[in-house]
Amino acid sequence: MTDAFSSNPEAVLQRGVDVTSGRDAPLENVEELYQIKKTCDFINHNGFKKVALQFPDEVLGDSVPIATEIEKSTSAKLFILGDTSYGSCCVDEVAAEHVGADCIVHYGRACLSPTTRLPLMYVFERRPVDLEKCASAFRELYPDTQSHVVVLYDVNYAHIIDDLQALLAPAYPNMVTSTLLLEHCHGYREQPSGHEDPGEPDNRVVRQFGRRCVLKAGLGVRDYDVFFIGPEGAVLRNFMMTWNRCRFSTFQPSTSAGRAESPSINRALMKRYYAIERAKDAGVVGILVGTLGVADYLTIIQQLKETIRRAGKKSYMFAMGKINVAKLANFQEIDVFVLIACPENSLLDSSDFYKPVVTPFEMEVACNRNREWSEDYVTDFRNLLPGGQSHVPLANEQQAGEETDVSLITGALRKQGLWSDEDAVPSEDPSSLVLRNQTLTVAHTNSAASYLAGRSWQGLERKLGETAVVKAVEGRRGIAIAYEGEGKSS
Amino acid sequence: MVNFTVDQIRAIMDKKANIRNMSVIAHVDHGKSTLTDSLVSKAGIIASSRAGETRFTDTRKDEQERCITIKSTAISLFYELSENDTAFIKQGINGNGFLINLIDSPGHVDFSSEVTAALRVTDGALVVVDCVSGVCVQTETVLRQAIAERIKPVLMMNKMDRALLELQLEPERLYQTFQRIIESVNVIISTYGEEDGGPMGLIFIDPVVGTVGFGSGLHGWAFTLKQFAERFIAKYAAKGNTQLSSEERCKKVEAMMKKLWGDRFFDPETNKFTKTNAGSKNTQLSRTFVHLILDPIYKMFDAIMNFKKEEAATMLEKLEIKLDNEDKDKEGKPLLKAVMRRWLPAGEALLQMIAIHLPSPVTAQRYRCELLYEGPGDDEAAMGIKNCDSNAPLMMYISKMVPTTDKGRFYAFGRVFSGTVSTGLKVRIMGPNYTPGKKEDLYTKQIQRTILMMGRYTEPIEDVPCGNIVGLVGVDQYLIKTGTITTYEQAHNMRVMKFSVSPVVRVAVEAKNPADLPKLVEGLKRLAKSDPMVQCIIEESGEHIVAGAGELHLEICLKDLEEDHACIPLKKSDPVVSYRETVSEESSQMCLSKSPNKHNRLFMKARPFPDGLAEDIEKGDVTPRQELKARARYLVDKYEWDAGEARKIWCFGPDGTGPNLLVDVTKGVQYLNEIKDSVVAGFQWASKEGVLCEENMRAIRYDVHDVSLHTDAIHRGGGQIIPTARRVLYACQLTAEPRLMEPVYLVEIQCPEAVVGGIYGVLNRRRGHVFEECQVMGTPMFIVKAFLPVNESFGFTADLRSNTGGQAFPQCVFDHWQILPGDPKDPTTKPFLVVGEIRKRKGIKEGIPMLDNFLDKM
Repeated sequence: MTDAFSSNPEAVLQRGVDVTSGRDAPLENVEELYQIKKTCDFINHNGFKKVALQFPDEVLGDSVPIATEIEKSTSAKLFILGDTSYGSCCVDEVAAEHVGADCIVHYGRACLSPTTRLPLMYVFERRPVDLEKCASAFRELYPDTQSHVVVLYDVNYAHIIDDLQALLAPAYPNMVTSTLLLEHCHGYREQPSGHEDPGEPDNRVVRQFGRRCVLKAGLGVRDYDVFFIGPEGAVLRNFMMTWNRCRFSTFQPSTSAGRAESPSINRALMKRYYAIERAKDAGVVGILVGTLGVADYLTIIQQLKETIRRAGKKSYMFAMGKINVAKLANFQEIDVFVLIACPENSLLDSSDFYKPVVTPFEMEVACNRNREWSEDYVTDFRNLLPGGQSHVPLANEQQAGEETDVSLITGALRKQGLWSDEDAVPSEDPSSLVLRNQTLTVAHTNSAASYLAGRSWQGLERKLGETAVVKAVEGRRGIAIAYEGEGKSS
Repeated sequence: MVNFTVDQIRAIMDKKANIRNMSVIAHVDHGKSTLTDSLVSKAGIIASSRAGETRFTDTRKDEQERCITIKSTAISLFYELSENDTAFIKQGINGNGFLINLIDSPGHVDFSSEVTAALRVTDGALVVVDCVSGVCVQTETVLRQAIAERIKPVLMMNKMDRALLELQLEPERLYQTFQRIIESVNVIISTYGEEDGGPMGLIFIDPVVGTVGFGSGLHGWAFTLKQFAERFIAKYAAKGNTQLSSEERCKKVEAMMKKLWGDRFFDPETNKFTKTNAGSKNTQLSRTFVHLILDPIYKMFDAIMNFKKEEAATMLEKLEIKLDNEDKDKEGKPLLKAVMRRWLPAGEALLQMIAIHLPSPVTAQRYRCELLYEGPGDDEAAMGIKNCDSNAPLMMYISKMVPTTDKGRFYAFGRVFSGTVSTGLKVRIMGPNYTPGKKEDLYTKQIQRTILMMGRYTEPIEDVPCGNIVGLVGVDQYLIKTGTITTYEQAHNMRVMKFSVSPVVRVAVEAKNPADLPKLVEGLKRLAKSDPMVQCIIEESGEHIVAGAGELHLEICLKDLEEDHACIPLKKSDPVVSYRETVSEESSQMCLSKSPNKHNRLFMKARPFPDGLAEDIEKGDVTPRQELKARARYLVDKYEWDAGEARKIWCFGPDGTGPNLLVDVTKGVQYLNEIKDSVVAGFQWASKEGVLCEENMRAIRYDVHDVSLHTDAIHRGGGQIIPTARRVLYACQLTAEPRLMEPVYLVEIQCPEAVVGGIYGVLNRRRGHVFEECQVMGTPMFIVKAFLPVNESFGFTADLRSNTGGQAFPQCVFDHWQILPGDPKDPTTKPFLVVGEIRKRKGIKEGIPMLDNFLDKM
């Protein structure tokens, strides 16, 4: 459990890192496991002077040997970054910039979200896979050799894909393997990957979540089945949500078992639809900044702000690091939060939260009437931006004018769009006096201020005349979390 | 339209004293719609020969096919009372033309909400009772509602043809049956009415006064005592050859009516009325009602049905009934119908009864205003309603939405109580959540068009003054189900209607093609608007739920959804019921939860409500809006609460109004006022989604016993307190022997004695139990009353029919919540299974969470 604004110091010191480091990597393996040579080449080739090495919690234990190894072959100064502000799958550029690093080497699982500022290299742990079993699981799941199948995999298994393809491709002519989009790793990213490369034939190249695959001409993603290598987790869930019309089957390298995934994804989509309905009901929206690394996050914030404003709602922006129940519940005046994060962290099960947390896509469905809910679900907010695959322009203000809608949560009527203030009818003669409406007080229905007005306790009570005047006395010492002489009761 | 035009109607709309707004209410199958047809045929909209066959007010195709009214339908009639009859009217009148706005309502319990909506906009009710079945459960329900709304009832004893032809009751026994029905109706009126009738005066029905009609809607004939009294007076008057003024005639008729009912007897020998049945020649005299009224009718039936042509002919002559040529060739029943319709036309008798005895808006609004209007009794709006003043600010109540031919659009149907509504008028549209001075649920818009609604047809009309029923075009967007429309800026809402049924049966719907989801959602929204009762919601699991009052109601709603509103093929789940979570003991220990930062602790306990309190809250006898002291006194007096605690109720929940309470029983806790909002928020959250299976809680009282808080405000903010409050409430619930509650129907079954055994069998199999069984006096029919869990009621009607050879027909109406016996934590019990199912359906983790998830140690 974390505290509201900062971690409890004792807890941090005592906290057992939630690491499943069952595989104490023998140090001889470091070279091979963490691609030391390749890393050194990357650093030397580009002549970087300061290099940030970003580790997820579970690899932190290996960080020192790795750094030592790298230092042997390069002259660059190395910094080890741990405890990332958001998800460890994202590249923490801000932390790297704090030390003025020229580039980042990212270890462990990655969401492959494009970054903007620094050159970057990903080092994935190469997890072992029983290639034979994987191939046979594939054959079992797809007895028809003509099946159209896309092979996806968690980043940790990228190394076996070429072998797997070699093994299966002769029998399965319609099998397509995906490749990881790592172009931007070895230098500045040249183009936003949402755009199609002009040189490639259109439609056939599909890019999703940092992966790219080339489909057969004339076929779309929905014509393919998907074979996923890796454990259940955010990557798989994201693909299932996004390509929700495809049939998925998975191969678990840890158990070497393959199985067809149940089509429960429809259910998950419906749950998200509930979240959209809540978002439509909301009057006050909190924009949670859950990443500082993913490219274009500022653009999406701007776009969301405008979308929300046009829908007649009010938005507030929050940056609060890793989010948890207690932090969000501090803002009771917010009706719904929208989380801007990398695709893997976007889908948050918010049932334990006091107010729901939705994705930017869901917020757009709720607010932008040009966007219809369809089966295409977008978890990557970059697709929503102008130029992205699923961008939908905002309804213009006139068109987005006054409309009403029935809420399927409360059963009540709700307003949509910007409502001109009905009482502010401009009188013909601007200097004429208008009778003040006795019953209507100035209170905007959709603001945190009106929420405050409804609270029974609104802050310090002055109790004028009830408290005796006293001279200044010495206050407390220490920091708020535990002043000296208190807070020891826990 | 044959008899009148819109202009004529508009003209008479201004004569408010001559308007009668009335609804026709009854048990299912007692013949409301058929009877309504007689009235409609009299007012001239459909040819009179087809009366009794068309069910004019059943406008929907399925209503016609099923022969059951589903939606209430309004129709305006124009009736001219003869000069002589105007003297009978005891309230102000203006000419002898009457505008009767009649609303035919459904009789099936599942559609009770339609009746409620109809009653709201009317001032009088024609209660129809099948004289063979007598007063049934739905008769009582609707009559009770009518009285609560201060609607004056008159009674129509229907289906006399059945009594005569099928049951062949003796005249005296028929009289006794009538008498008994009248008594039971009056018992209901006195039970639910105000002391001495309240401001309405006495509203008991009495044949002597003329508020009871007798007849057969199917055959198109009816009479009140007035019809016969008039005939006798006319006879005597003719003898004396004197011209009576209408007042004198009225007095005589009224005097005569008194002689035609009760223990009054007629001695044909002496031609005298007596008060004993001993005749002058030691003969048994029959009562006047039997001798002078029933006998001729019996004779007529006998003559025609037994083909005694000559006898019939003489009678016709005597009664001066002239038949059309085509009717003369008829025999048997068709002839009987033709004759009776000539002799005692139903339209005439009923319309007279309505015009004479039901109140005009001017009369009714004076005493109804305080029930209708939430605002102060002396503001402009209230005065406008009380005086039925068409120049006052507009006050109109929209009681329901009627679909137009234009898909997705509705007419807003309602009654103008004050002022005048006109096409193009700019009005304030206020939903049920509007509070004066705020902007929530308030829209200012122009009315596109005002229309007259007449059964299947609508007619545009320029404007409509108060006291009338009207449809509005172009406000449907801004209203759901009901609302208030006004031009008065300081107006409060008109009071929302109270329904006698609740939406306890639910079905999850899904589009067959997932891509149709937006259409489904759009359809659900339309359905939500169009039906006064149905609830369309999305559950947290993402399921789309349609909740209705019963199986039939849901069936109709889903059909509408599929065919009219969404227009896509649907997948429907089996019906399920919603449950409630409650507790049966006081928490076995003091529950403590610590906030995430461990610096704040909440100590609470839960305990069940005393019996009746939850119902009181649902009825509105105990409400969050109530004045604090009054509420405390009520709780102390009725439930023996501690006086101090009764004043420290923090809130109701869920949704701030539900039947659970959070009570502060702490003593001298610092900063408590600061965290109140947060604890309340946690309570609302927890009481909406209980710990067992995330159903609403019911009848639980939570006491805040102690609280220890961090001294620094930043560490006792909402983020720390809200989740903690929820956890400690869950801990309280789990330690207080949690139970599930299920909804229970009151079932009334009418059947012949022979199949009563079969009914018991079916009920036993379905966990039902009979609590009353009695014979309907004067008939071989039995009435069985039982409680049946709603969950067991699916397919009950069909099951019952097959087990009784189709002779038993149940009416189910939601009655109460009942604890499902058994500990939900014990895997061998039924509640355990139910909880498991619900959790699975909702997609939440299997198994009730363990107590240690919520409970912390010191």
